[in-house]
Amino acid sequence: MATISPAGTPAPSLMDKWEVQLRKGCLELAMFGCLWSDKLYGLEIMRRLQSDSDLAVSASTLYPLLARLKADGLLESEWVEEEAGHPRKYYRLTPAGRRRALQMARMWSRFSATIEDLMSPLLKEVAR
Amino acid sequence: MNAATENPQVENYLAQARAAMRGMPEGDVEDAVRELRSHIADMSEQEGYDIGSALRSLGDPVELAKKYRADNLTMRAECSGSPLVVFQGLRQATRSRSGRFTATALYIFGYINVFTLWSAALEKLFAPSKVGLWYVPGRIFSLTLVNNTIPPDGGRELIGWWLVPGAVLLGWLLHYITNKIAQWWIHRYRASIQSRDPEMGFCIGGS
Repeated sequence: MATISPAGTPAPSLMDKWEVQLRKGCLELAMFGCLWSDKLYGLEIMRRLQSDSDLAVSASTLYPLLARLKADGLLESEWVEEEAGHPRKYYRLTPAGRRRALQMARMWSRFSATIEDLMSPLLKEVAR
Repeated sequence: MNAATENPQVENYLAQARAAMRGMPEGDVEDAVRELRSHIADMSEQEGYDIGSALRSLGDPVELAKKYRADNLTMRAECSGSPLVVFQGLRQATRSRSGRFTATALYIFGYINVFTLWSAALEKLFAPSKVGLWYVPGRIFSLTLVNNTIPPDGGRELIGWWLVPGAVLLGWLLHYITNKIAQWWIHRYRASIQSRDPEMGFCIGGS
């Protein structure tokens, strides 16, 4: 059941849920962004997401997601023997993945521009 | 060779994950396990991490394997001609308990009818006088396989040997439609959980 605090603001748990959903919705786009010009292995993708976008994704979410995107033909992978002493699985975007990434980026750009217009009074309030 | 590759804790974790990935193609399981092993090795080499914390970063091995399995199963079910694989995928693709019950019931109902039609075709070959499409004046058409009540009193058999190809064809059509409806449902589910190209058809990258 939704809980509203006496002041009328949503309880923290609802805000947390909203933020989780928002981050979840952006995750694939952010991953496509990471892989746009580089081939990366899982842990590198995690680090890149964390440092560049503050999207801290767990390994247990990332690896099955990578497997799914690969199965859907959006990513391809190759095993590379490394000096580290163990092989690493590198991912890169396929042509279908690049097309999808561009579509998502266009959609994101349009959407964020629209929402920013709507939010301008709120943002002014936040900036005060 | 990295310490993580021979650590009993790692081997135990990966064995649990591997066991929970049963049903997935062997190549996919090996690839996933190899990648997890590589991740554990990388994590445990980081400053402030050891094997234990690397394993904790992956979470419960069974839960992790379930995520791989669910994606793999629905992806294969979307393309498969096997009723068993499609059925498993359909259950995976239905979130609520009531939805799962309904989907299961409808799928089984479809296949009971397929089985009935194909059984009728087969039995017609061995007991031609006891299987048929009977018309009984004043009653509805009935297709029956029960030997001791056949032929129905006052009934007239309508299609004779045509029942064999007719029932086989109708059974196949029902099997096709049942599977296609289930796969359409699975396709919708998969499209809803991923950023899928709306122009993409079924079975992209699937095997």
